[in-house]
Amino acid sequence: MNDPHVTSSAKLNRGNGNNTEKYAPAQSGVKHFDTEDIANAVNIGLCVVNAAGKVLLWNDWISKHSGIKETDALNQPLEQVFSEQISPAFLSALKNSLTHKLPVVLSTALHRTPLPLYHEFELGIQQPRMYQSISMTPLRSQHNEPCCLIQVTDSSTSIKREKILRSHSEILKKEATTDGLTDICNRRFFDAHYEIAVADAKRQKYPLAIFMVDIDFFKPYNDHYGHLAGDAVIKQVANTLKLQLSRATDIVARYGGEEFVLVMPHLAQDIAEKFAEKLRAAVFNLAIPHIKSPSFHQITISIGVCSGIPEKNDNLLNKADTALYQAKQKGRNQCVSISLCETTEYLEQ
Amino acid sequence: MNNLSELHLDALAEVFSIGAGRAALSLSEIVGDEVRISVPSVQLINAEDINPATLSLNCGQFGAVNQHFSGPFNAEAMLLFTEEQALKIVSDMMGSQMSLEELAEFEHEAMCELGNIILNACLSAMADILGFTLESSLPHYAVASANEILSRLRKDNSQPYVMVLHIDLAIEKRHTAGNLVFLLSSASLTNLVSHVDQFLNKLL
Repeated sequence: MNDPHVTSSAKLNRGNGNNTEKYAPAQSGVKHFDTEDIANAVNIGLCVVNAAGKVLLWNDWISKHSGIKETDALNQPLEQVFSEQISPAFLSALKNSLTHKLPVVLSTALHRTPLPLYHEFELGIQQPRMYQSISMTPLRSQHNEPCCLIQVTDSSTSIKREKILRSHSEILKKEATTDGLTDICNRRFFDAHYEIAVADAKRQKYPLAIFMVDIDFFKPYNDHYGHLAGDAVIKQVANTLKLQLSRATDIVARYGGEEFVLVMPHLAQDIAEKFAEKLRAAVFNLAIPHIKSPSFHQITISIGVCSGIPEKNDNLLNKADTALYQAKQKGRNQCVSISLCETTEYLEQ
Repeated sequence: MNNLSELHLDALAEVFSIGAGRAALSLSEIVGDEVRISVPSVQLINAEDINPATLSLNCGQFGAVNQHFSGPFNAEAMLLFTEEQALKIVSDMMGSQMSLEELAEFEHEAMCELGNIILNACLSAMADILGFTLESSLPHYAVASANEILSRLRKDNSQPYVMVLHIDLAIEKRHTAGNLVFLLSSASLTNLVSHVDQFLNKLL
């Protein structure tokens, strides 16, 4: 321990020596702690190398995660301390920091594991290297020798934390946009999605189809069979509608109590009409008994469809709703289609 | 204000081009592909005259890497990219090893590193060529709107001068334009000018 460098860690000052006062304790001349004790107590890796690349400080954290004792590291060239290779980016960053006396950072994103550091050492088991974030700060020793302080933090914990937060936020996001009873999209999601879908169809000039769906004679069903049975019907219809969709771009949402809405891009009027009929038949084929339904004695749906390439003030949703009203007027269990170019006045004649 | 002549600005553009070259080399090592950085122009503006057009701050969010440099002159240095461009640069630099979703969590750290490389290279080139030493804080990354950035530039009365470097960055065929902004006090500007003068005198 005759080499002054080896024990110099407690005497290292930030900056170029003359601003020591800035970092000195309030009561001048009284040091409350040994810097080396602090270095060993902190939960990050600390290592100081001099301009020649020799290690002057090697704290307990680094010892623990590298498996290399302080005594084996001190006064050795950093590159030779590790038995495995150090990443070239780390070495050139260190060189830059020492040459230009400017601080350098190495991010986890661009350098996952620059140093051979591990969480634990288990005999015979090859552990994956620890993800690291590294910063290098120029420092002068008390002998006025330019050095570089290397700080290593374990970024695996922050990566893990981010992952947990992200999965939580995904669950919350799903809950915020899903209808609790039917598990299809809720009204909130539909409102946002509808606006985007219309804007996109306008911009790219393709036909967009909107289907308004309503369960016929639902109130009498609820009154006769009870609310639990009513809920079960809503679920079954929602699920049946959802099963008819096969494209990722199509959505079905619960619009209100027993009302549903479907948004399907790139669907022209004639195909939309056929698809509406497919929806109606699918629910009809469920053959759910409904003795209070005057004409059918089973659960049925009415559908209003509107399709077209939306322009300035076109309101597909209103027209689909008008079509649904007409389907109800015409006796229910049927589909009515309105093309976007037809005017409502004409239809009401 | 006028004590920085065309000649001074040319000399500084030359100095920063050397810095840009160093930064490009460091970045190439990380990316494993050619990276080109150029500094097409250097401007000195009064902080109060600064407007969105001078910094091409049109709209949206910007990613800013800050470092405080001190020495013969002090400067608050800030590297600005639009947030969208920043994300693209980082995703190019990382290659395809990570999805965009995963990217968000690393974006700040990676941008810090990128900014640090460019800022250090420009400042160390200036220090080497003009013959002085600078110290610096560690880089700090923040996302801010154009208005927030402008009001920050304008409000600091102690640093009334703004030196703007327009930067072109090309990584793997993607071209990005950014700005490097230095906030300088009058004393710092005077010191910078005298160092540039000394350098020019040696050449003449």
